[in-house]
Amino acid sequence: MLKEEKELIERAKKDPKAFSELYEKYYSQIFGYILKRVANLEIAQDVTSETFLKALKNLWQFQWRNIPFSSWLYRIANNEIVNYFRKQKGKKVSLEKIAEPISADNIEIEFIEAQEELKKHQDFLKAQEKISKLDIKYQEVIVLRFFEKKQIKEISEILGKKEGTIKSLLHRGIEKLKDEFFETL
Amino acid sequence: MKEEDLIKKLEEISLPKIEIKSHKERLNLALMKKYSPERKKAEVFNIFKKLVPAGVIAVLLFLFIFNNLNSQKYNLAKAKEIALQNNEIKNWLQQGSTIKDIKVVDGKAYVLIEPPEVKKEPEEPAPASLKSGVAFQENLTGEEKFGGALAEVNIKEKEVKNIKKLAPAANDLIKSKKDKALEIANKSQEVQEKIPREAEVLNINVATPKFRLSKEGNSVSAIPEIETEEKASIIYQFDENRCEGKVDLNKERMEEIKCLNEINTDATKE
Repeated sequence: MLKEEKELIERAKKDPKAFSELYEKYYSQIFGYILKRVANLEIAQDVTSETFLKALKNLWQFQWRNIPFSSWLYRIANNEIVNYFRKQKGKKVSLEKIAEPISADNIEIEFIEAQEELKKHQDFLKAQEKISKLDIKYQEVIVLRFFEKKQIKEISEILGKKEGTIKSLLHRGIEKLKDEFFETL
Repeated sequence: MKEEDLIKKLEEISLPKIEIKSHKERLNLALMKKYSPERKKAEVFNIFKKLVPAGVIAVLLFLFIFNNLNSQKYNLAKAKEIALQNNEIKNWLQQGSTIKDIKVVDGKAYVLIEPPEVKKEPEEPAPASLKSGVAFQENLTGEEKFGGALAEVNIKEKEVKNIKKLAPAANDLIKSKKDKALEIANKSQEVQEKIPREAEVLNINVATPKFRLSKEGNSVSAIPEIETEEKASIIYQFDENRCEGKVDLNKERMEEIKCLNEINTDATKE
């Protein structure tokens, strides 16, 4: 599996179609993760765009270390989420400038539908609101562990931290979340 | 609430599974549009990355060589400047001596001072044809002549530590050259035929030995230069006649011998 992925990445360095394959494979996963982190569709779109553009820029520097490509994308996504909130009013990626325009009406309809879908998950939105008040280091591990259902080992690969550190971050994060979380649930 | 309960609640939360297809498509198009320019940038960056270490090494090497050359030049100039402040050296240079060479070893500089080349006229004027054109540095008057010197200069302390005169060594060399020249001449058939045994040797002229600096390990010394053409002239006198014999010291043979009466006869014929 990993071998196939390694080959696909090597091909993606030479062939845009292979890069498109990688994109198709991981877009939903990365968009979903970012949405769970930011709980906002507009921001999730912007950060996802930034994440993949960054991945493309750094693709030729990527070196295979027996860690799934998705872990690298998650790491970029984490950085982009931090960057986004650091410069909230900073420039946003305007796909209109770099991609062919698609009918604005269709986009709007699709977006409204997605908004409606998101609103249906009130428990998630409330939980996410509480999680977003924690330090970034706790947000990352809690979302990856409970919303992305990642194993400790995977989280450690994504964040580039030791498994022990992840466990301890999770424990402390849950402790901090405990006090305020269920008052509103 | 217990930690386990919170964990359970978090795990049970219904999560949104949303995908905005239009965004996915537009982003894909944007990435495809950017693929080629980004690839080109990466290629240029890779070439640059490979060239940087080589460039850095080249610059460091250049700086090292440049610095070494400069420091060497600086030390040589400094050593010369210090030497020129020494009264004795200053005096020799005013009389026509020159600084022939300077070598720097371990913060010490060795300055070789060479005496001026002097064309010496014999005490008693010999016939024009017997005068030798070779430069001589023979002490005929008995006064001590400057035969060169090796000065040791401490660059850090900015002083001339020691001056070694080369005259004794030069005189020994001159003496041995003269002995060799006379031996070659006396053994030659020409001298045996033309010069009677009772003839007096008026003068033997050899070139002043020249010195050069030689570096061996951490020490520098002045050693005689090997001449490619080393000649000597010997003036014999007997019965009111004078002869000059020319000896090739390198080839160890008599080159020619000319006597005054032969020259006068030749002149009368003309």
